[in-house]
Amino acid sequence: MKILIQLFLSFVKIGFCSFGGLTMVPIINDEVLAHGWMTADEVMDIVAVAEMTPGSLGINCATFVGLRSAGILGAVVATTGTMVPSLTLCLLAAIFFIRLKGNTVMERILRGVRPVSLGMLPAVALSLGQSSFLGADGVAWDLVVIAILCGYLLVKKNLSIPKTILLAAVLGLLI
Amino acid sequence: MVIMENSGRYGRLFTLFFVMAKIGCFTFGGGWSIVTQMQNEFVERRGWMTEEEIVDYLSLAKSFPGVMIVNMSVISGYSMAGIPGAFAAACGLVFPAFITISIVTYFYVYLKSNVYAQRILNGVRSAVVPIILSAALKLKSRSLIAKRSWVLMIVSFILCAFTDFSKVLLILAGALMGLLLWSSDAVKEEGSAE
Repeated sequence: MKILIQLFLSFVKIGFCSFGGLTMVPIINDEVLAHGWMTADEVMDIVAVAEMTPGSLGINCATFVGLRSAGILGAVVATTGTMVPSLTLCLLAAIFFIRLKGNTVMERILRGVRPVSLGMLPAVALSLGQSSFLGADGVAWDLVVIAILCGYLLVKKNLSIPKTILLAAVLGLLI
Repeated sequence: MVIMENSGRYGRLFTLFFVMAKIGCFTFGGGWSIVTQMQNEFVERRGWMTEEEIVDYLSLAKSFPGVMIVNMSVISGYSMAGIPGAFAAACGLVFPAFITISIVTYFYVYLKSNVYAQRILNGVRSAVVPIILSAALKLKSRSLIAKRSWVLMIVSFILCAFTDFSKVLLILAGALMGLLLWSSDAVKEEGSAE
């Protein structure tokens, strides 16, 4: 029981201290090592597992750590802990934000914020593209071809995302 | 599913849970493809959200601590079905990841060294790049409404791609620029023209 409470509190803390993605790794590292739940090597394994599976790194790490240190209940507790900031702070922000909809000042703010948000998307694509397409031995052209084909089907043929990802998985296996 | 979608509030909660679970099965690459999928499911297919809302909620989700895609689900879920909607959407999103991780943890050592698993993963990662770019393409018409917006977008892209500039500060700077670049009168005039 004690470990469940500790897991929950640790992951609430991790959630509040981070903004998702790889920024979570150092914080998770500190917490699980301090409690002696896992070794540093195992923490590196989490990142690999998280990359192999759908879902964000934070949620995946929480499930993995919880499962390894306290079984399935541990996984539930740690995962719930990670979601606490979203379900409290962010929910309050959403309530406040939606109340303000249509407000002129809010609309002016949003006109500035929208393009900034939009600009982040190609930046993320660029950094993911670098890690996917640039290997130790140059550009992985076969993967670039998969990406271009998927892009064509998505934009021109309106192929759905689940189908696109499944297609890419099959092509990756074949190439 | 079709019957449930038509059966009032609880139907909507069920749909939110299941659609978010479906989205959760395909969020690779830090989860950014959630934007494309939500645009697809909730804007195009169901009309429960608008394109502006997607971009606005993305900015909010990015500005608050926690996991970005869970934040995004909570805000969108709240906008579509109130507080129960926020919980339904967040739980739906996390559900598939939870199940997958639980299974993968047991086979982890095997999967790590398996060459076929690696190839599948490489293929999936390649698809994530065009998926994210296609979201940017679809959302651009409602966000880039003037030359000023293009400039903001390009500056944001450059800062995100080539520096470690904090994304939270960037969004705050965007908010400030919005106040400086658009007067209240301009917003009202354009608003009534739409």
